[in-house]
Amino acid sequence: MNRDQSRKVGSAMVVGGGIAGMQAALDLAESGIKVYLIDNKPAIGGVMSQLDKTFPTNDCAMCIMAPRLVAIGRHKDIEVITLADIEKIDGGPGNFRITLNKKARYVDEATCTGCGTCVSNCPTSNRVQPVQKEKIELQPEFKEKVIEIVESNKNRDGPLMPILQQINSAFNYLPENTLNYISQETGYPLAHILRIATFYSAFSIVPRGKHIVNVCMGTTCYVRGSERLMERFSDLLKVKPEETTPDMMYTLKGVRCIGCCGLAPAVMVGDTVFGKVTIKDVPDILSKYKKTA
Amino acid sequence: MAVRRIDLMLCTGTGCVAGGAFRIKDTIENEITKYGLQNEVSVVITGCNGSCGQGPLMVVQPDGIFYGWLKPEDIPFLVQEHFLKGRPVKRLMFVPLERKEPVPLMSNIPFFQKQMLIVLRNKGIIDPEKIDEYIARDGYTAIEKVLPLMKPDEVIEEIMRSGLRGRGGAGFPTGRKWKVCSDERKFPKYIIGNCDEGDPGAYMDRSLFESDPHSVIEGMTIAAYAIGASRGYIYVRTEYPLAIRRMQIALSQARDYGLLGKKILGSDFDFDVEIREGSGAFVCGEETSLIHSIEGKSPEPRQRPPFPAQIGIWGCPTVINNVETLATVPVIINRGADWFSKIGTATSKGTKIFSLVGKINNTGLIEVPMGIALREIIYEIGGGIPKNKKFKAVQTGGPSGGCIPNNLIGLPIDYESLTKSGSMMGSGGMIVMDEDTCMVDVAKFFIQFTNDESCGKCTACRDGSEALLEVLTRISEGEGKEGDVEFLEELGLAIKDASMCGLGTTLPNPILSTVRYFKDEYEAHIREKQCPARVCKKLIKYYVDPDRCVGCLLCVKTCPVSAIKGELKYIHIIDQSLCTKCGQCLEICPPRIAAVTKLTGKEARELQSLPGPIPVAEWKKTKSASKGDFRFTPYREETDREHRGDNEVP
Repeated sequence: MNRDQSRKVGSAMVVGGGIAGMQAALDLAESGIKVYLIDNKPAIGGVMSQLDKTFPTNDCAMCIMAPRLVAIGRHKDIEVITLADIEKIDGGPGNFRITLNKKARYVDEATCTGCGTCVSNCPTSNRVQPVQKEKIELQPEFKEKVIEIVESNKNRDGPLMPILQQINSAFNYLPENTLNYISQETGYPLAHILRIATFYSAFSIVPRGKHIVNVCMGTTCYVRGSERLMERFSDLLKVKPEETTPDMMYTLKGVRCIGCCGLAPAVMVGDTVFGKVTIKDVPDILSKYKKTA
Repeated sequence: MAVRRIDLMLCTGTGCVAGGAFRIKDTIENEITKYGLQNEVSVVITGCNGSCGQGPLMVVQPDGIFYGWLKPEDIPFLVQEHFLKGRPVKRLMFVPLERKEPVPLMSNIPFFQKQMLIVLRNKGIIDPEKIDEYIARDGYTAIEKVLPLMKPDEVIEEIMRSGLRGRGGAGFPTGRKWKVCSDERKFPKYIIGNCDEGDPGAYMDRSLFESDPHSVIEGMTIAAYAIGASRGYIYVRTEYPLAIRRMQIALSQARDYGLLGKKILGSDFDFDVEIREGSGAFVCGEETSLIHSIEGKSPEPRQRPPFPAQIGIWGCPTVINNVETLATVPVIINRGADWFSKIGTATSKGTKIFSLVGKINNTGLIEVPMGIALREIIYEIGGGIPKNKKFKAVQTGGPSGGCIPNNLIGLPIDYESLTKSGSMMGSGGMIVMDEDTCMVDVAKFFIQFTNDESCGKCTACRDGSEALLEVLTRISEGEGKEGDVEFLEELGLAIKDASMCGLGTTLPNPILSTVRYFKDEYEAHIREKQCPARVCKKLIKYYVDPDRCVGCLLCVKTCPVSAIKGELKYIHIIDQSLCTKCGQCLEICPPRIAAVTKLTGKEARELQSLPGPIPVAEWKKTKSASKGDFRFTPYREETDREHRGDNEVP
């Protein structure tokens, strides 16, 4: 190494003032190192300041962050530099030279009391700027049907479930693009639609086969051996439960009780129920659908 | 309409349709046309008859002769003998197990005799797709009585006096729920009929929709009038396509007759109902979650209070009743609260529908008065356990309920005694288990279910069920440790305390009740590493008994992983390292040979297979020379194959 190494400097820079950066800065400062905490936003805090709760403990985000914000503000060894980007890094470990580009703030931080009057009086900012989204084009194979479904349900109370159900039953799954389209037409955020689409077991967001083989896994069928039926279907179709055969003909699925407990164990293919199925019957059931395939 | 000599009440519930009821209908119609009987005999399509185990079935009226297990090839003979010549066919009648003589009349069959039909009063009698038939059976007379003659408060008073409690599981007094909602001053109000019958093993709501949808509509209309609602929803599982279709037909007919819509029966009361489908989420049976699901929100439950009766769907007061509760309402109005409250016990009034399923001879739907003893249900109505096996337990209340053991068989069935026994009423599933059912496996099954279906909102339910499942899996795989059972109990009670909705607070019940009554089975799994019922895969081995094997190759051909070695007339040997324990060999082995057995515990651990295939004849010789080698107590599981005829031995 060169001679820079011999003149090590007792200071550090933390880039990014999120919750991790804040904690790093505090730890460094506590061990006696001078810290420069920089962030390109007007204030430190990062994403966590926008969250209500955090994974995995569901703790309140502000409760974790606020004590650290205060501690950083008070710490004599931490210098917070906001609205700054790194331009250039010179030197090596122990002796870096960093050039920052600090943008103007137009407000004197030393005198500002944070009253917020300037924000409420500003004629241009402080207004929601809607993001211009591209209009979603549906693929031709879905277009007609999806538009029909969305239009006929749009004005109902709580339109989301009926729309998703009808699309799911029309195509056996929910194509991704149609979800974007629903979001655009109904105003539900895409994240919400996805939450619903992945919550219910009847919906699928991956394509499924023409025939959905539902092996009932209700209690009655279970004690009468539906697990072994499932294995047999799995052997014959060469797919695991919840998977689709490569030719897109069959999707194998376990289902929660189809209410045919008098006929346990039961299997439902499409809307047709087969009762008192034994392992020997499995190939016959499948062959019924081979012909129509 | 011409008067017919004979009406054939052909059951077309989901069960019988699966058995080919519509094929039978076509054959009957062809046959009666062939003999020119079409003006004398009519085929009536009815809803579920309840005796699903005997399906496809029909009842010949006016005589009331019951024919079960119908096949299209029986029909020509039946039509010729019975409808043309007037000689009922004994071969197709119901034969009770203990007797040889068939019971011709439906009313004499024990399964039907003990029942008391209030909610299912029209099952198997009317065509559910024809409103006129419901009206002919005093349908819509209750609404006719309520609208001009009774004030909403009087209706609530009547329901309160009848002592009707919610049939969905928790048993909240229906009248009180209505009262809370009717006291709210916010409008509009809503009524929701809950048909999200998620409990595996229960199907009374489906059957009700399929056999008598109008009784639900009438009950809903009365409830709406009582609380002042003008709109209703019916929330039904998407897994019930036939029920949804019949309800849609019923709703449109009711609208045509002016029984729904504006100014019902000339009064100032407006009401209409819309069907909403669920999409396969168990938690949606919970009322707040159900509301969120209809609203298109993420279907997680929320904290109560405020109860939905105060703040419900779209922020408005909402009454949510199980559809079975609603179908009871018209009968109470017609026959009076005093009559209704005489049926049942001091705290549980009226009747309850149960689906009697599992390891029982007569499976099907039954409606019995509250307070009936479990013994009567199992042995008199259900006809006991098939193949003379021992009754072990009955599971009630679905994943929220528990198992009631053999020694509590005298238990009266009502809300309180079921709760006291560690189970619950639930929606009314009764799954009978015999000695071949492993209680650890059952508990594992339910925890797996609730773990899958937990919406994930509360940590106790989401992660607690995961932890329970982990321990149960360990026990069922023979890795259980001392103290596991105590841990299950402790964690179970903690989950009960810390969860918000009904799913979480009742989730540990299957474990708590099985630990309470079947602790010895848990201990056998943990200490002796054996599964007494021979179910838990890791603790059993399949074994071909050389003394019984005839070398027929049936199991060799069936084995999906080719784990069975053997040639014709050589004793077959299962390679334990390849065996996946699917049980197909046991099922295929003909019952009179019954060479394939299951071993567990010490027997399984110390199992020594034959070193190589030996000809059957040679084995017989060696065996007589050295008696006692390779002998184990053979355990035979009889399967359904006996009803289907023996397998062919080549």
